[in-house]
Amino acid sequence: MPEHAPGVAPETGSAAIRVVLADDSVLFREGLARVLADNGFTVVGQAGDAAALHAVVAEQEPDVVVTDIRMPPTNSNDGLLAAQRLRAEHPGVGVLVLSQYVETRQAIRLLQHAPQRVGYLLKDRVSDIPEFAAAVRRIARGGSAIDPDVVAQLLRRRGEDSALAELTGREQDILALLAEGRSNRAICDRLVLSPKTVETHVGSIFAKLGLLPGADDHRRVLAVLMYIRQAGS
Amino acid sequence: MTRRRWGLVALAAAGAAWILGAEWVSIHHGVPENHLIDALGGLAFLAGGIIALDRRPGNVIGPLMVAVGLVPYLGNYGNLNVPLLPLLGVISGYWAAPMLAHIALCYPSGQLRTRFDRIVVGLIYASTVAISIVLLLVFDPRSGGCTQCAWEPAPAPSRDVFLAAGTAYQRLGVALVLLFLAAVWRRWRRATPAGRRDLTPLWLATGLIALGYLLSAFASPFPLADPFAYLIWELQSLLQISLPAVFVWGLLSSRLARSAVGDLMLRLERPLPPGELQVSLARALGDPALELRYALHGQDRWVDAHGRRGSLPQPRAGRQARTVTVVERDGRPLAALIHDPALDQGLVRAAAAAAGMAIENEWLHAELRAQLAEVQASRQRIVAAEDRERRRVERNLHDGAQQRLATLALSLAMLRDRDGADPAAAAALEQASAELKQAIDELRELARGIHPAILTEEGLPAAVESLADRSALPVRVVANFDGRLPEPVETAAYFVVAESLANVAKYACASAAQVEISRLNGSLHVAVLDDGVGGADPSLGSGLRGLEDRVSAVRGRFRVETAPGGGTRILAEIPCDA
Repeated sequence: MPEHAPGVAPETGSAAIRVVLADDSVLFREGLARVLADNGFTVVGQAGDAAALHAVVAEQEPDVVVTDIRMPPTNSNDGLLAAQRLRAEHPGVGVLVLSQYVETRQAIRLLQHAPQRVGYLLKDRVSDIPEFAAAVRRIARGGSAIDPDVVAQLLRRRGEDSALAELTGREQDILALLAEGRSNRAICDRLVLSPKTVETHVGSIFAKLGLLPGADDHRRVLAVLMYIRQAGS
Repeated sequence: MTRRRWGLVALAAAGAAWILGAEWVSIHHGVPENHLIDALGGLAFLAGGIIALDRRPGNVIGPLMVAVGLVPYLGNYGNLNVPLLPLLGVISGYWAAPMLAHIALCYPSGQLRTRFDRIVVGLIYASTVAISIVLLLVFDPRSGGCTQCAWEPAPAPSRDVFLAAGTAYQRLGVALVLLFLAAVWRRWRRATPAGRRDLTPLWLATGLIALGYLLSAFASPFPLADPFAYLIWELQSLLQISLPAVFVWGLLSSRLARSAVGDLMLRLERPLPPGELQVSLARALGDPALELRYALHGQDRWVDAHGRRGSLPQPRAGRQARTVTVVERDGRPLAALIHDPALDQGLVRAAAAAAGMAIENEWLHAELRAQLAEVQASRQRIVAAEDRERRRVERNLHDGAQQRLATLALSLAMLRDRDGADPAAAAALEQASAELKQAIDELRELARGIHPAILTEEGLPAAVESLADRSALPVRVVANFDGRLPEPVETAAYFVVAESLANVAKYACASAAQVEISRLNGSLHVAVLDDGVGGADPSLGSGLRGLEDRVSAVRGRFRVETAPGGGTRILAEIPCDA
């Protein structure tokens, strides 16, 4: 945690996560800032375009940046480009990219160099506040958050000719959650399974897909995503 | 004065010097002949030839007349005691007659019309070539005992063979002259009354020359030794002076020009492919750079025969100078001929009048083509405008409704998150949130259908990948490039893939599909293949029909290949510069 981090998150007891928001809609930005503040985050800066975002990040060195993908000046994928640049220039800063549309190609582009401290979610996922807060925290801790739609698209597109077909239904559910960037613990909560069971399933999935077991929570997201992407293509 | 005219003046001066020099040599060597008549014969042909070259640049008669005027004077120079000149002089004496025969049979168009004409002229030239070769082999002035004469490098000098060849050629000449007269007679028989009237003086003169030639065949090959032969020779010379006068008269009354127009009319008897009229006019008028433009009525512009925009030249001086002659119909400009200012205006007008029907036809064609091009362009503009509008709507949705709904969802979530709300309100809130999520999802799909943001942001391969990602069945994408293309090309290709994949999912009962996009020879090739039941028919569904329209709006080609049970291949080829 940065030394100058002020405040303490009420639920966790640890120092509050410092967040910078970037979105060209002030209304949405303010709403998001309130939600984050209510959930124990400290919003240390806001920006309306990519240039302002870079300036704020350089000044504040936040834990996480939450940015819209489409921003002025070009109203194209400025947010994505800004995210990639931030990740190169500030490797310690987590980046969560929000978009009205999710595209697997963009997710892969964002993830491929370093799968840590990065997220790519549909914009309206923010309305599931606990999930969204968890995703931001995960990213702040060095994890990742990939939109379930992206994972679903990847999984659906890969034909029956891959090893994915050998996974059981339960294993496929767990694989999807792994690919979204969730930890074993989160998967337990989500599927109401014991940690032991989840661990067994994860081991089995990795064995069937021929992936190295024991990769840490963060790296295994990319391993799983890349596997899904390449299988069958 | 154009460069060409200066050239002709130079040619005239050099030719006259050549002829007068030849006469001077004859006088100097005391050759007993009428030097005035001899010189006038050549000068008359030279003058006629120069005028023909000037007025009818493409016609062979001009060069032939100049040659007839100049070549025989090599014989005069043969009197100089210089090797080779006597030999060339003797040979040159044989060449005037064939060229005259050629002129007579091809007058006035410069073309030998019938096969018979061509055979006769060919035989005459062939026999002249033959005698020339024999002379090259055997001629040696010293073999006759002339010790003063220049040495000639003859491989087999023989005065007997030389004399025999000369006599044989003259005897053969009788047959050739008869053939020539037969050809003249055939032309006369076939000529129209007007043609006969025009050609009478010419044929009278050539007929007389031929007669003189026939008579000379029975005289000695050496006119100087025989008074009868000398008389014949004198007579022929006089006729030869009159012949070019006939030509010149014909030229000045622009008969040659009219014959060119006549040729043009013959060529126009059959319908011409577009653009061919310009070639025909250029040939008829002897101006290869001639251009034809058509006026588009209602629009103040000119187009070529293919309807492509063209302009009339600005007045310019010098070698590139062009003149515009406008052809009108009912007081409105129809076409414009852009041509060399040296061309005779009357001739250009005559040619334009002769080509009137063809010009009108081609004008119609050009106007049709221009209209088609205009329709094509406007279709392209309509599609581009529609695409622009789609992008604008999508952007407005994204920045407006979608953003507001996302903010609203956030507000609802905050309300829901608040403790202490009564259960009824909480349930209602839950319900509203679910409805809102549904609305957001539907709006997202709607916006994506209007215009996919990823196409603008990341290009065609990424957008096609995205389509494949969201397709209901497995889709393999093969793209051999990753760059950007002009927007209309990307958009057309995208909609081909999107609509085709939607069709596959809906109707094809396929297990998988494949999309191939590649750039080849400046075109984008798109193929969407499936292994379904086939039977897609563009004439039935409005979807495929719409794709066809969209692709042809960007000048592309669209094809559907399908067989019952054999899957469907949808192929589009779009030029990348669209």
